[in-house]
Amino acid sequence: MGLSFSSLFNSLSSLVRWSKDQDVRILMLGLDSAGKTTILYRLQIGEVVSTIPTIGFNVETVQYKNIKFQVWDLGGQSSIRPYWRCYFPNTSAIIYVIDSSDTARLSTSRAELLTMLSEEELKGVPLLVFCNKQDIQGALKPEEISEQLGLAGGEKSRPWSVRGSCATSGDGLEEGLDWLVNAIQNK
Amino acid sequence: MYHLLKGLHEYLTRKEEFSVIIIGLDGAGKTTLLEKIKTLYNDTPGLTPDKIGPTVGQNTGKITLPSAILQFWDLGGQRGIRNIWHRYYDDCHAVVYVIDAEDRERLGEGWEVFESVLSAPQILGVPLLLLANKQDSPLSLSVEEIRHDYEGWHQRKLESARRSARHGENEHDVIARRERIASLDVMGISALEGTGVRAAVDWLFIRVQNSRREADKA
Repeated sequence: MGLSFSSLFNSLSSLVRWSKDQDVRILMLGLDSAGKTTILYRLQIGEVVSTIPTIGFNVETVQYKNIKFQVWDLGGQSSIRPYWRCYFPNTSAIIYVIDSSDTARLSTSRAELLTMLSEEELKGVPLLVFCNKQDIQGALKPEEISEQLGLAGGEKSRPWSVRGSCATSGDGLEEGLDWLVNAIQNK
Repeated sequence: MYHLLKGLHEYLTRKEEFSVIIIGLDGAGKTTLLEKIKTLYNDTPGLTPDKIGPTVGQNTGKITLPSAILQFWDLGGQRGIRNIWHRYYDDCHAVVYVIDAEDRERLGEGWEVFESVLSAPQILGVPLLLLANKQDSPLSLSVEEIRHDYEGWHQRKLESARRSARHGENEHDVIARRERIASLDVMGISALEGTGVRAAVDWLFIRVQNSRREADKA
């Protein structure tokens, strides 16, 4: 009896969750000039737009397969990074963008990422790292960047994936989103 | 009255959670296996094989069985990222090692890595399952052949160690190793088609609960 009630309750609550999940909030973060805005518009309208440094944020709804993402692209300059945390509540996933050719600032990027991941509000939230600008000569490979980020072992509570991408050609973006959708749904 | 019933309900439906790590060489089919498990046991299907690329990072999946929850960690298997595996050893209740039974050329490399997993002290007492994947391919080695190949490889390794006259291993280690290998279970699966996957999950489900009971007794 109790079991049948609980299974009924479970199926009802999963129905409710399903309808709620249709709007999913995703934060796109990373240092300035990593390519966040370019990725956002590449995903939304499928074109490469010319961008200027974002002060504040861009927010767009991206329809991917049958899921609507509300993607928040937050400005990445050092002066406005402290405001990222205002957007952390109710976030379903994080996309972190890294400029793979900018080896000098990789350690800064790493520090910002790790600070962010230690926030209580982002506990267990899936993380997708785009190693962007793979088309540039000398860009670091995802494996190398993963090694330097040092996520392994420290981030057991969340699914995470480090992937190469090229925002201008669109390479790697869809594969990354496929992974992210799966990670959000199967959490 | 409500709390009594609620408490009773919680007691009856209480489930223990067990962590299982899935490791093996790159291209062995670990992520395909995990996604297949999700598709078979969960309402939301996992990724289809054509969407799966090399993993840099970790994929997770949780399945709920009648009396337990299994939490899977699928870890990347490329050479450069294998060194992260050991950080998961301490908290896992079972280890699944996936081998590509079709790729004869890399079997040796697979055993080399497998050997290092076998000898890791943190997981000596943890149930270990060896899966010979890609049984859907006619070129694949069967479960028996895989077991045979491993034993042969192991024997050759012991001999060459003896020849080089380095007695690094003591008697005790050798015996422990032999017991470990004797108790090792090998199963054939096709992560692509799903054959054998349910049997493997059943094995895990039974073994993690048994080893928990033994730990409680001790």
